[in-house]
Amino acid sequence: MEIMNTEEQRTEQKPVFKQTSFQISKSAKKKCVWKGLKQIVSSEKALPWPETVVHYSAINAPPSFKPPEKFSDLSGLPAPYTDPQTRLRFANKDEYATIIDLPMDITAGYLALRGATSIVG
Amino acid sequence: MDLLEFKDAKCTPDIIHPYPPSIKNNSVPIIIDNGSYMSRVGWSTSTEPLLLYRNLIAKPRKERSKKDTIETPQTPQLQVGNDIVNIEAVRFQLKTQFDRNVVTHFEAQEHLFDYAFTHLGIDTENSVQHPIVLTEAFLNPNTSRQLMSELLFECYAVPGIAYGVDALFSYHFSQARPLENALIISLGYQTSHIIPVIGNKTIFENTRRLNTGGEELAKWLDSEYYEEHIKKIQLPYTAIGTSSALTMEQQKERKRELARRLTEINARKREERLAEDQEKLKQLLEILELIEFGAERETIEKALLGCQLKSVQDLQKNVTNLNLKIEKTKQKIIAANNIEEVEEPPVKQSKYSKMVFEKRRGITRQDILNKKLSRKQRKQDIFKRRTAAGQERMRIISQLARKEKGNDDFGLRDEDWDIYKTISKDGFPDNIQLSWEILRAHEPSELDETANPGETHQLHIGIECFRAPELLFKPYMAGSSEAGLSEVVGYVLSLFSPEDQLQLASNVVVVGGLANLPGLRERLLTDLISVRPFRSEVDVRVMADCTLSGWRGAKRFAESKGFDKCLLTREMYDEYGPEYFKVDVASNPYHQTPKESAVDVDV
Repeated sequence: MEIMNTEEQRTEQKPVFKQTSFQISKSAKKKCVWKGLKQIVSSEKALPWPETVVHYSAINAPPSFKPPEKFSDLSGLPAPYTDPQTRLRFANKDEYATIIDLPMDITAGYLALRGATSIVG
Repeated sequence: MDLLEFKDAKCTPDIIHPYPPSIKNNSVPIIIDNGSYMSRVGWSTSTEPLLLYRNLIAKPRKERSKKDTIETPQTPQLQVGNDIVNIEAVRFQLKTQFDRNVVTHFEAQEHLFDYAFTHLGIDTENSVQHPIVLTEAFLNPNTSRQLMSELLFECYAVPGIAYGVDALFSYHFSQARPLENALIISLGYQTSHIIPVIGNKTIFENTRRLNTGGEELAKWLDSEYYEEHIKKIQLPYTAIGTSSALTMEQQKERKRELARRLTEINARKREERLAEDQEKLKQLLEILELIEFGAERETIEKALLGCQLKSVQDLQKNVTNLNLKIEKTKQKIIAANNIEEVEEPPVKQSKYSKMVFEKRRGITRQDILNKKLSRKQRKQDIFKRRTAAGQERMRIISQLARKEKGNDDFGLRDEDWDIYKTISKDGFPDNIQLSWEILRAHEPSELDETANPGETHQLHIGIECFRAPELLFKPYMAGSSEAGLSEVVGYVLSLFSPEDQLQLASNVVVVGGLANLPGLRERLLTDLISVRPFRSEVDVRVMADCTLSGWRGAKRFAESKGFDKCLLTREMYDEYGPEYFKVDVASNPYHQTPKESAVDVDV
């Protein structure tokens, strides 16, 4: 029954098994900001590590050596064409007919799904 | 084709498990497979993890309108793990302790540990008297591990911790006799790893990580994986319009009923009129009788006035009229009685009329649709200056303007006027315009044709069931420049000597939740054969029970003989600093952070 009580009052009171003195953020009033993974990795990189050490950032997969295939944004079929206005890829004229009627937000959504939102490339 | 019901994933809240003395007094290790998708927690003595929950907390926002009262505290209850009843409802308030596959947000981690330990039933004061076996990311940065040790030792006062990598636990401990050499493919929620193991040693420098995992796949396919080519998903909907739900037969019946009622009313009216007329005729005949019997002139005139008549001639005329009228009404009543059972004309069929219309015009519906499309295309082209259509239009206009200056015979022939049709902005012959309107009038409306209103609420999934898992092999489909899974496997192999390559390729093991994908083994095997030398030995196998094998491996590890030596104790933590941990076969390597520049520990 005791556990049930602590369960209910968890927002105010810590569970019994926790150390009462422990404060996760050193200054209780200041809101704790956690470092993101990118920050951790970059601060790790800045240190003078021995040669043999392998880091989290060192094992990223290499870039692809093959040219990427192009697929239609609408159907997923191999797409030889790109609409110069929307930058959407399409496989045939029927798809193009659909593309020219699409509103901006839809075309932007298709591009975002493909990760092609940057202007370059 | 089966219909798949679209459901939000619902969690059932965990119970608080009993905390028997056999566990309480023996410091049984707690096994936590802390994955970025879900956490599996249990005692090393149990065969299955007791708790399976998503590593998520939801912090509902404070409602401004509500005042702080005793019953409802101002800050809403934090929802942790399986407390979150409907994940979709709090989608935007969800938090996790993970940044990619590394734990960075330790406040959230604390809440999730609270959740785990509470639900395991732990009730000892100020400490959790069980060693912890915890999984972490492959090559977890020291900062993250250090904060984790701090949290576990200083907040929960655990007696010891053992860290390990889930994929390695899974490989080395969850199977009966693991081979010395293996290429482990670990497919996770955030990342995928290709880990070579030679002579039971992990080759860290040749491991590669793909930043594509189950979550990325889920973005492309927000549901399960399907076996067949096209799937229809029934989205939730509420049926509307009860009137339209009537069938054709019911509508016909209703019409017939209405008609019957109308004829009844008509018949009644006719009979009433007949009775009225007969009454009047009787009166008039009485007056006639009076005249014939030679009554006094005054009485006759009085009677005539009562019937609003002027003279005897009028009276005679009225009598003959009434006689005719009565005769007619009688005939009508007889006729109406005979007609009653006549079948009503057949309902006009829209399809039939459409066919007739097409025959008559000599053009098919498709023709008109095509013409409409090309008209639209021309209209667009005309507005663009550089298109052929636009230039042609400009040429004709300028020609027309030039002609007017000289001898002007424009308009003498009827064909001259056609020029305006070609240059007008939506220029099309009138008959096409007209036929389009006719077409629209005869087109069966689509809403009428669907008998089932649910059909308009169905989501059709075509090639997505292949496209989403394909993302693992082709990350460029989502704009990533990284190589795909098979390519990285080939690359990792290329880092080894030919002898080692042979060893690794003959024992490729797939672990992790995503390994459940159907056909994954075959796909990997095909790709691997294509990069391996002719007739060299190649084998791919998916770890049995791949979702839980990490937890099971960690459990076996805790039961193994050397476990006590692998445990990082509180004394070691105090002695060697928060970074230190014990290295074992399934763990990451330990490298002390260089001392030269100060590390920001407490942020």
